[in-house]
Amino acid sequence: MTDPVRYTCPWCKHSSDAGSISCPACGAPVDVRRSITKSGWSELPPIKDMAKIQFGQSFCQIEGTLVPVADFKLSPGDGVYFAHHLLLWKDDQAQVSAMSLKGGWKRLFAGMPLVMTQASGPGRIAFSKDKPGEMVAIPLERGRAVDVREHVFMVATHSVAYDWFNSGIWFRTREDKKVETHYPVGMFMDRFTAGSAAGLVLLHGAGNVYIRDLQPGQSILVKPTSLLFKDTGVRMNLHFEYPYGTYFVPWRSWGNRYVWLSLTGPGRVGVQSHFEPMEDSGYRLDSFEPNATETQW
Amino acid sequence: MSALQRIACSWCGSQSPTEATTCIACGAPLDVKNLVSDSGWRSAPRLRDMTELRFGNSTCQVEGEIVPVAEITLGERDSIFFEHHVMLWKDLSVALGVMSLQGGMKRALAGMPFVVSIASGQGRIAFSRDAAGELVVMPLHPGMELDVREHAFLLCSHSIDFSYTRVQGLRNILFGGQGMFMDRFVTRDAPGLLILHGYGNVFERKLKAGESILLEPGAFLYKDASVTMNVETQKLTTGLFGGVGMSLARMTGPGRLGIQSMYHHHQTE
Repeated sequence: MTDPVRYTCPWCKHSSDAGSISCPACGAPVDVRRSITKSGWSELPPIKDMAKIQFGQSFCQIEGTLVPVADFKLSPGDGVYFAHHLLLWKDDQAQVSAMSLKGGWKRLFAGMPLVMTQASGPGRIAFSKDKPGEMVAIPLERGRAVDVREHVFMVATHSVAYDWFNSGIWFRTREDKKVETHYPVGMFMDRFTAGSAAGLVLLHGAGNVYIRDLQPGQSILVKPTSLLFKDTGVRMNLHFEYPYGTYFVPWRSWGNRYVWLSLTGPGRVGVQSHFEPMEDSGYRLDSFEPNATETQW
Repeated sequence: MSALQRIACSWCGSQSPTEATTCIACGAPLDVKNLVSDSGWRSAPRLRDMTELRFGNSTCQVEGEIVPVAEITLGERDSIFFEHHVMLWKDLSVALGVMSLQGGMKRALAGMPFVVSIASGQGRIAFSRDAAGELVVMPLHPGMELDVREHAFLLCSHSIDFSYTRVQGLRNILFGGQGMFMDRFVTRDAPGLLILHGYGNVFERKLKAGESILLEPGAFLYKDASVTMNVETQKLTTGLFGGVGMSLARMTGPGRLGIQSMYHHHQTE
């Protein structure tokens, strides 16, 4: 007897039957050619309308292509958690309650959601976001973790532990006595870890989503607000660039600096093409995180 | 041509010639299968770029797929009405007027448009909205009553009566995400065409009598008048922190219910 032909998803590395039309672990279609830019970014293939992603005894169906909906059918004993404002609809069976989070005051001050909501099966519940974009499904094997920029997370299965950490990415500006501290990727980042069982994390990327696997020591500069997620092994630091030809304004002042997020491998990073403008008061740069670097052109 | 030589549209029920690839009344593709989720939501038909459909002596061509444009070629004696800010362009020959509405002061106080414009044929006029989404073409047959989220309608043929219905109950007004009023479209003897713009993707389900579903109020797009809406609030608390109240609209059948996937969550403003 021969083994049935298997298919290994190029995105999540999950092995499944070759007869599927999409990867059952992350929903990526199997019948599309990988689209890789000359610079090395892989364009995430949009999850096909009505594709299903299996987790535990439950599944999630992705519906729509402009602002996709994640429609969960939860089996008894399975559950998910989410930021409450993402809930689109639910049936009467799905039970919703608050999930306690540590560090409530810090989260409150950092503008992070104070209340995470959880839903338990059996029942159906669906989620969507407020921008056109793509659903990114990250299946986590046991012991694996992923770091996610704040407000990007949509929903995770209950087998995935939720934590958050200080991003360490900041800079300070000064205007006379007015000092402002800026956090280009947020004061905190979310961390999702699969414990004793595998799990699933769903993110929403605004616009299109691109992924690249950085080699050890390999770095790339990205707009801080374009970051979606990164492997925990990927290091981050700020990088300031000052273009040439602007010597008539004092060095380190607004109008002649670019603020980048430097990502250094090893590990996978994901970015979104529709990113928010970065907050910067435009005042003189006073200080910044210890690992930040600068280039004066 | 006999009835056997025609094909029925599963979205609007209209009959088209068998050789047609799109429904002549609503533009829905006839040569693709319906997309229905396991949970029972049907995707609104994805109108193909440049699809054309007919109403009265006029036609509508749908152009684009990200923020689609409805381009109307108005026939003689045909007219349509719309909120003035959705007009994209028009021919010089298209006459514009203002439709008188009942309860203008109430509408103004409720933030609803109290001036609705009318365009009369002959000539071309086009409409689009301010965000990515889908056009939902709803041919309304005689005797239909449809309630629509305020500001969601793009245009409507003149044969349809346009009024509003007051949202009942203080909780529904405060937490229902619709404000005080919803638009109501009623057909009398003649059929008509109503085109809505839903933000993101649009889904519809038919609720049976007594069947209900809980919905984020901001996602509501349209419903048959027979579907009722009642907001229910659940308190989510954690320890010392007061937590938040989660308000969901219970929509109860019988009738059609349409939702949009890119909604504005009114409690996170």
